[in-house]
Amino acid sequence: MSILRVEGLTRRFGGLVAVNDVTFDVAAGRITAVIGPNGAGKTTLFNLISGAMPPSEGRVVFDGREITGLAPEAVARLGLVRTFQLVKLFSDLTVLENVKIGTHLHARGGLFAALLRPGWAREEERAVAKAAADLLDFVGLGDLADLPAAGLSYGRQRLLEMARALAARPRLILLDEPAAGLNAEESARLSAIIRRIAAGGTTVLLIEHDMTLVMNTADEVVVLDFGRKVTQGTPHEVRNNPDVIAAYLGGVEIGHG
Amino acid sequence: MLGAVPWVFAAGLVGYALVAGGYMATVVSFALIYAVFVVGLNLFMGFTAQVSFGQNAFAAIGGYSSAVLTTMFGWEPLPAMLTGVCGAVLAALVVGYPTLRLKGHYLAMATLAIGLITYEITVEWQSVTQGYMGISGIPPLGLGKWTVTSDRGQLVVLIAIVALSLFAAARIRASRLGRAFFAVAGSEEAARALGIDVARYKLAAFLLSAGFAALAGSLFVHVVGFVSPEVYGLHMVILSFTMLYVGGIGTVAGPLIGALIVSLLPEAFRGFKDYQDLAYGVALILLLIYAPRGLSTLFRRREARS
Amino acid sequence: MGSLSYLPQILVSGLGIGCVYGLIGIGFCVIYNASGIVNFAQGAFVMLGGMVTFVLMQRAGLPLPVAAVIAIAGVAGLGVVVERLVVRPLWNRNATMFVMILATLAAQIVVERSTLLLVGDQPKTLPMFTDRPPLMLAGVAISYQLLWIVGCSLAVVGLLALFFRTTRTGKAMRAVAIDREAAALQGIPVSRMLALAFALSAALGAIGGILITPTQFTAFDIGVPFAISGFIAAIVGGFGRPFGAFLGGLTLGVIQSIAIVSFGAGLKNVAALSVLLVFLFIRPSGILGPAK
Repeated sequence: MSILRVEGLTRRFGGLVAVNDVTFDVAAGRITAVIGPNGAGKTTLFNLISGAMPPSEGRVVFDGREITGLAPEAVARLGLVRTFQLVKLFSDLTVLENVKIGTHLHARGGLFAALLRPGWAREEERAVAKAAADLLDFVGLGDLADLPAAGLSYGRQRLLEMARALAARPRLILLDEPAAGLNAEESARLSAIIRRIAAGGTTVLLIEHDMTLVMNTADEVVVLDFGRKVTQGTPHEVRNNPDVIAAYLGGVEIGHG
Repeated sequence: MLGAVPWVFAAGLVGYALVAGGYMATVVSFALIYAVFVVGLNLFMGFTAQVSFGQNAFAAIGGYSSAVLTTMFGWEPLPAMLTGVCGAVLAALVVGYPTLRLKGHYLAMATLAIGLITYEITVEWQSVTQGYMGISGIPPLGLGKWTVTSDRGQLVVLIAIVALSLFAAARIRASRLGRAFFAVAGSEEAARALGIDVARYKLAAFLLSAGFAALAGSLFVHVVGFVSPEVYGLHMVILSFTMLYVGGIGTVAGPLIGALIVSLLPEAFRGFKDYQDLAYGVALILLLIYAPRGLSTLFRRREARS
Repeated sequence: MGSLSYLPQILVSGLGIGCVYGLIGIGFCVIYNASGIVNFAQGAFVMLGGMVTFVLMQRAGLPLPVAAVIAIAGVAGLGVVVERLVVRPLWNRNATMFVMILATLAAQIVVERSTLLLVGDQPKTLPMFTDRPPLMLAGVAISYQLLWIVGCSLAVVGLLALFFRTTRTGKAMRAVAIDREAAALQGIPVSRMLALAFALSAALGAIGGILITPTQFTAFDIGVPFAISGFIAAIVGGFGRPFGAFLGGLTLGVIQSIAIVSFGAGLKNVAALSVLLVFLFIRPSGILGPAK
């Protein structure tokens, strides 16, 4: 069953075609990775899916509903939440507060609740605090809840951003290079976390450079090069595809990236 | 524990004014009125990190509503005040909807223009505002037969209002609403990706801010008994920013501390009055250069280091 | 309501004030192009132009041309002072745009209040440059002051164009406007360009202030409305295009004088500010489109 379908998606910047007629499906409950050299159009693709920018052509269908050109907050409300390649935390706030903000869509308190704190609002705040604390434990940041987010190491900031996105209880989570800046050990732990996210019923679509992570984690791999889809298949198929070796894996050595 | 220092300082000063009465009570009263204004400014600029140089417009709406409704139509101060606050929030809604879509310099200039338009209207709409002459004989705060006329009585009322305002700010800070404000301040892109309707929360912060501004503007006319366009001029904007920066932008106690320090400092120097606005301008420039997050953060960093 | 027969007269007087808005608008662009900063203290220069000239004539007994030249030079100097004391330290600390705006706005207040302390709050005016009855051309009265305003403004704009096109410094400033980093790499002293931009823009403001004062008055607090009008001119012209800003100024001047005839002089600033808001809401990139 496909939860996300990208159809003929194209985005031009002036004369440059960053994403060129890309079509693929993301199977529900699984982990799909988009790989490709730098400049292959991966982040642009994410921006088009998540509503950060409108596509020039093509459409995006999420869970049977067309979301092409919807605003990011509307896309998030439907259950599609993303992280960013360059981590975008609320750096003045604590680690816990960051995750609490992630629960925004699943609470309803407004001005009235803030000022008068009726019973239901106190109840809601307790639930928010608990959910946030649980998610921090899930990504292994439970002990750091009260630190300012800006004080975390880069790898931990990535984990925090992921916990914050999970707090929105997405049905599909888009992870933009979650392993960037992580060492081998952190990367292995990340792989386990991603698997557990998928096991919990959340579909994962990720962009990644770290081939080890992709090969160990993903069920399905989509390969992009120069904005076009080169191929799609299981990690094993992709690894042995001559086009991919030429376009991407071989390209690493000749400085394609 | 260090967090208690500003509160003790503020309580001490206000308590002293309450005991001493007289002139000291008057000065602290002004500081408290400004504190209400700055609490609102802080919600919009400190919490939500948005820019407005035109909040004086809403103070003017509040103040003139109170003045006109009580003197020309014989209303009670309280309903007049309430009408002013509602009017200001309504005006903020009408103005804020298109304005807050602007960014950067355009937003800054548009809000500055809104302040100036309001000023010009208060000068020119003479049949209602009496222009530069202003409106005098505005009744003091009160309810029915019971009115607050003594310095100390006014001070007590203002203390209660400021306490409520700060309480509101603290509660907002610790709520879903406040978190959404801080999310908008931290990263609009990240906030939107989490489903936060950024435009809506900017507008909400703007409306709240306008409400506090109008309340302050209205309190002013009832305490002083007089209003003229100059009360809500551009200097009000600079003064309130100075207070916000002195006290610490984005903090709960900041507006009160800033308002007290900035109002009381000139009283410590004789003959300083004439140079007041000049000094505020200079002080603000120095603060922006040397302590951009406010004086209180300067102390905090020192303490953390030693 | 003004009848249609007044229209040429309205246009003519609108063009006069429009030239001044244009000069102020160019001042905004010059600083913006050099630094990306919008200087909210621009109005202080306009006020000081008229005010300093007045003081030099009244208290030192200098003739108008001498007083005017000294005033322009002095205000240009003040522009550099503002740049050195307020803008430069913030620039070096990578201050945010908002802090920069607030600081220049505070500088505006400092200049305003200093002026108030030094010369008081009474409005001052300057004599007409040529004190003769207006010329009548096809039923339209054209004052000599208007000719001075238009003539001087066009001369200044012409000289400025020459400066940007032919001189080394002028070309360097244009290079900085196009790409600051590339200009720095080519050895152009970007920070000196910033000081120069402030001097130039302050001088433009002062010239505008001196030209317009004989037709109205100057007082310590006239700066901000002029600054906003100049800013509107710059926006209407597509921010960052100096000559677009001049055209923007003329447009605004005409709209404003139509508003004066229709609604009365008291609301002329309200009219100008409303133009700003409408413009921002509907077409923020200006009539000519953005500069870059």
